[in-house]
Amino acid sequence: MTDGERFADVQGSTDISDSAEMSIDYRREGGDSFPDPRLAPAARHPEKVERVILALFIIGLLGFAAFGALYWHGGRQPQLEGVFIGVGLMSLGFGLSSWGKYLMPRGPFVEERHPLAGEPQAQEVFKEALLGRGEYVVKRRGFLVGVMGLATTVFAIVAAFPFIRSLGPTPGDTLDKTSWKRGSRLVTADGRPVRADALEVGGILTVFPEGHAGSAIAQTVLIRAADVSITTKPGRESWAPRGYIAYSKVCTHAGCPVGLYQEQTQQLLCPCHQSLFDVLNGAQPVFGPAPRPLPQLPLMIDSEGFLRAQRGYEVPIGPGFWSRS
Amino acid sequence: MKAYLLIPISLVAVVAIVGPLSADAHGPALAASTAAASSPASFSQHPTTSNGTGGGSSGDSKGDASNIVHLPKSYVPEGRILFEESCASCHGPTAEGSSRAPNLVGLGEATIDFWLSTGRMPLSAPTVQPVEKPPRFNKKQILEIVAFVHSLGPGGPGIPKVNLHGASLTNGQSLFTLNCAACHTVTGAGDMLANGVFAPSLHIATPREIYEAIRTGPGNMPRFGPNTLSRKQVEDIIAYVRGPIQHPNNRGGIGLGGVGPVAEGFVAMLALAGLILVVFWIGERS
Amino acid sequence: MIDQALNWVDERLGVSKSGKKFLDKIFPDHWSFMLGEIALYSFIVLVLTGVFLTLYYVPSTKEVIYHGRYLPLVGQRMSEAYASTVHISFGVRVGLLMRQTHHWAADVFIAAIAVHMIRVFFTGAYRKPRELNWIIGVTLLMLAIVNGFIGYSLPDDLISGTGIRIAFSITESVPVVGSYLAFFLFGGNYPGTAVIPRFFILHVLILPAIIAILIGAHMGLLIRHKHTQFPGPGRSEDNVVGSPLWPNFAAKTTGFQLIVFGALFALGGLVQINPIWQFGPYLPYKVSYAVQPDWYMGWLDGALRIMPSWEFAGFGHTIPFEVFLPGVVLPAVTTLFFFAWPFIEERFTGDHALHHLLDRPRDRPLRTSFGAAVLAFYVVLFGASSTDVIANFFHITLNTVLWSFRFLVVIIPVVVGIVTNRICHDLAGTARPREARPRRMPNVIVRSDEGGYETYPAPLYPEDETPELKPEPVPVRIEQGDLSNG
Repeated sequence: MTDGERFADVQGSTDISDSAEMSIDYRREGGDSFPDPRLAPAARHPEKVERVILALFIIGLLGFAAFGALYWHGGRQPQLEGVFIGVGLMSLGFGLSSWGKYLMPRGPFVEERHPLAGEPQAQEVFKEALLGRGEYVVKRRGFLVGVMGLATTVFAIVAAFPFIRSLGPTPGDTLDKTSWKRGSRLVTADGRPVRADALEVGGILTVFPEGHAGSAIAQTVLIRAADVSITTKPGRESWAPRGYIAYSKVCTHAGCPVGLYQEQTQQLLCPCHQSLFDVLNGAQPVFGPAPRPLPQLPLMIDSEGFLRAQRGYEVPIGPGFWSRS
Repeated sequence: MKAYLLIPISLVAVVAIVGPLSADAHGPALAASTAAASSPASFSQHPTTSNGTGGGSSGDSKGDASNIVHLPKSYVPEGRILFEESCASCHGPTAEGSSRAPNLVGLGEATIDFWLSTGRMPLSAPTVQPVEKPPRFNKKQILEIVAFVHSLGPGGPGIPKVNLHGASLTNGQSLFTLNCAACHTVTGAGDMLANGVFAPSLHIATPREIYEAIRTGPGNMPRFGPNTLSRKQVEDIIAYVRGPIQHPNNRGGIGLGGVGPVAEGFVAMLALAGLILVVFWIGERS
Repeated sequence: MIDQALNWVDERLGVSKSGKKFLDKIFPDHWSFMLGEIALYSFIVLVLTGVFLTLYYVPSTKEVIYHGRYLPLVGQRMSEAYASTVHISFGVRVGLLMRQTHHWAADVFIAAIAVHMIRVFFTGAYRKPRELNWIIGVTLLMLAIVNGFIGYSLPDDLISGTGIRIAFSITESVPVVGSYLAFFLFGGNYPGTAVIPRFFILHVLILPAIIAILIGAHMGLLIRHKHTQFPGPGRSEDNVVGSPLWPNFAAKTTGFQLIVFGALFALGGLVQINPIWQFGPYLPYKVSYAVQPDWYMGWLDGALRIMPSWEFAGFGHTIPFEVFLPGVVLPAVTTLFFFAWPFIEERFTGDHALHHLLDRPRDRPLRTSFGAAVLAFYVVLFGASSTDVIANFFHITLNTVLWSFRFLVVIIPVVVGIVTNRICHDLAGTARPREARPRRMPNVIVRSDEGGYETYPAPLYPEDETPELKPEPVPVRIEQGDLSNG
């Protein structure tokens, strides 16, 4: 390529501003000059920039070496590991970006856009080829196409089955029940039965049915709100002997364990979205997004002094779902 | 040309210096744990410790009796004077309570000691929940007041002599996350509850204060008696609070106060802002 | 030798035919066009650190006893997933650095996507022919959010496990099929043992593959359409002005890539994130307070908190709107609305032309103020995720904070929209910088002996002697000239 060809675009320009450019000296102090101002580096003092970039690259190199040395000797210092590799990478990065920004041709450069869509002629030809080619063989055979389409649709539907149905069992009535039964003894998380003197007034304990300690669904919060029997709602006179009230610990909003007990205001607060339940009033929600009270577990005290459930929860525990009636 | 010699020299220097300095380095809080820290991680199938998670062990009130502080009777008259000066205006001269303040008789020495030694009482202004502040009285004066109130009516837990020797951090971790984290947060940072009530931060709590708070359930805090958490279990919790809660293993770097994803989100935004500044530098404006 | 190598490659891959055109490819220089690169490079960090983590993480809920370096957990029962994560943090060389860098990269990745998306929206870069690219971008944002949630749930710690329980509840809130979907996803009732291994495969294979393919498509379309640019001297709808790919852009972008890498690794070593050993293993009956999710889930968590407790129960069925609306309907409507926006705007403005030149936000006040209002809506939702932290920090009651957010979520977007509209109209008259007016020169003030003052314009700075350069196509070589002029 001759000089003439190389700079044809530049020299061929007749714009006044271009000829004005050509008469200005683009020589940088003590440095190189370029025939086209766009090819000159952006920096006024490229040598100074070069020195800075060199320093940055050296820092980068040292950072990597330090990281390697640290690693070789056992590591165990996340802060230093991060600093060394981080400083190393960033120095290298700043050096390279500076090179690109300050030492490379400053431009601006241009390229043309070409229309995406084809000429109408070309579009017609394309559409003809796509639609028209097969048309002859498909015509009069629409029935075949229809049946193939039906077969493909059915395949698409049944192909989805393994990816959905095989994943798990259907819910059935699993969500309606817990493992609390008539006479289930209350136990703590490590399986120890709960006696009627386990809690002081104002105390709280997480309990489960015996044999299911740790169950996510049956988890129940046991509160001693008083030392005499409490009626939380009409019809529940026998449910809270000696002041022991038991509610499902699974929040009726989104299922988090309702673990915060405010023993003076007698409220249970759920930590996730701050639903507030009134302990003395059947865990009625008084604040926040929970829609329904926490189900209450009817308690009794057996002849040996252990706390038991009279029966299981009367309603499904936890958040709402479609078939919950 | 001489500059280029600097490169290999400094390389060697860095490797030579950083290497030995970092050998055998342990993370900061691991130093607090003992020599057992050097075993590689392994996962066995057989439990070696029981996973105590709070429950009704047999009452340890008998054990409590030998482990509580016995206050001399001579403290009572001094305590009466202090009480009449600072407490009787709300609690009444015989601590029977009034519309402004509860009855203190029979609440126990631990209760009075807790409120006074954390400085929550005397109140500086009426409020929903008193905050911890420097105590008004010195240690002896507090014990005198405690002795006086206790003399008005017996009952309630005594001031404990806390013994953390042999406490299990593992048990403490398990008990803390079950019983305490729901209000105080799992890093002990504290947070706001409903109706103006809040769970305070645990970062300056002393072993005695923690024991007293657990047993007496101050304010809206529930009460965990000897039948709920045994003395050993309470001491395990205290050891966990005094250890990993108050001196967390922040091996990963700046701990951001243990606040969690909210603080982390802010830092991520800051990092992004920094990168945008870099982008601002690399690119053109307009 | 390089010569021969290039010939070798060209004979097998045919690079020289379109190679020069590719090297000449112009990238506009404006800084706001690099925001997407922050996201791209964060994604690469995610993949690299993620591969490291997969070598040590065990996706299993099988119970094991921990015996490792972190004493408060020694002897405790926990899932293998949790134990392996603690092991990565304490026992694997540079393990904690990789884990934290991975997590910071995820937070920054999604933040960068959001900022990039905001830039694209307010400059109108999503208009024809780029609607498809916009849709791909919105999809990437949603997939990144989902993958992030799944990712931080993998350690099976106390805090992320609570989030998984909420996910189960949100899934089962869908009318008719909700409980089926939840049971299929979890392999049974909550918690089951299947969700951690399934999350693992979703997180390391299925979603990253889709994200990588979509990123490829996103950038492929960018290459096909060429980048948009702001109007300016020498720029039109028919050209692109900026730096060539080689060597300018390649250097700047590679340098920036290293900077992003370095920043993320520095964060990963210096600032702690998700210290799961402090939380303990997940047990479904334990919970902590102040359990916000990672920042990019905040809009959903905030919506869940401020939603009133409207549940419909009747005719033998329940629709838990208090979970279904914020948990399912909000993200679905958000996604669909974002997808549809380019077409909505096209229909509304009647503008069906191709656009390669960008708008200044102030020149399109309706779009800008509407976008600002929508953005403000999501920002308020983010704020609503921290109700307890705000109440604690400012010593206000939870009640006050919650009710405030319920009102603010409606009021603030409206106010922001109105104010933005005003600002746009006020700014609309301003001329482009450097376009209409010449640079203002300082004046030199001279005091005469008699005491009067005179001013005259200062002599020109050297750069003012140089007029704005017209953009030219990239030459093949960069040649130095003679030292003599011209």
